[in-house]
Amino acid sequence: MTSPFQAMIESLMRLRGVSATMLVDEHEGMIIDAILQFGQDGDRVAALAASLYRKARLSASAAGLGGVTFMQLEAEQGRICAAGHEEMVLVVVAAPAANVGLMRVEMLKAVRGLA
Amino acid sequence: MSTRVVETWLQAPLQQFVEEARVTLALLLLPSGQVLAEHGFTRSLDVASACALAAAIHASGGELGRMLDGRPFSGLHHAGQDRQIFLAEARTPRATYIFLTVFDRESSLGLVRLYFDEFVARLAAAAPEGDMANDPVLAENFEHDLNRNLAALFGRA
Repeated sequence: MTSPFQAMIESLMRLRGVSATMLVDEHEGMIIDAILQFGQDGDRVAALAASLYRKARLSASAAGLGGVTFMQLEAEQGRICAAGHEEMVLVVVAAPAANVGLMRVEMLKAVRGLA
Repeated sequence: MSTRVVETWLQAPLQQFVEEARVTLALLLLPSGQVLAEHGFTRSLDVASACALAAAIHASGGELGRMLDGRPFSGLHHAGQDRQIFLAEARTPRATYIFLTVFDRESSLGLVRLYFDEFVARLAAAAPEGDMANDPVLAENFEHDLNRNLAALFGRA
């Protein structure tokens, strides 16, 4: 069974360097829909990324910076990007060489489509 | 908030779960309803009630699962307005336990599930040798054992 988010997730997976795309419930930290490459623990990434995004959003709000639109976490062997809309967070896991600018544009476009 | 345990080997795994998952209450018990460890409770009466209810829910869920799915349901999640309950079976080579935890907006179901899996692994690793599952729960001993465990946790006989 395909979900209404499948096409959006597939289009993000086509970006070079992207290894996982997940749409996650921000409050529950549970995957709504996802495409993961073999060997990735989606549940774990989804729970932690949603928690991180929620805390970033609350921190930004507490600091009077307004809403968070895009969050990026860089690690030695890759990066995690998140963009949220209402109660959903779009999480993308990518290689260090992935084009972050393009990913950001595509992710923001995708979350606007969730409206 | 303190973590209290009947057997010392339970302390570290439970403490770590509570800190990582950011839960407000946690309770580890045997399927018979006897408490083994708790975090966040202030009264022994609350622990006794929560244990009885958790054991009953676990038994009912298990039976319902067997009827519907041919095997017992091993986990239950209930989302309230402010607080949520997660109840699951923690299977280790030593015994099968019931684990009940309550969390609020500081945590999430995804995080609780994630750290619960790690908690079960730590529990299995920390458990002393022996198979508790072989120890029968006798009706004549139940109340005595229950009271003994509550006294161990809350310091009253």
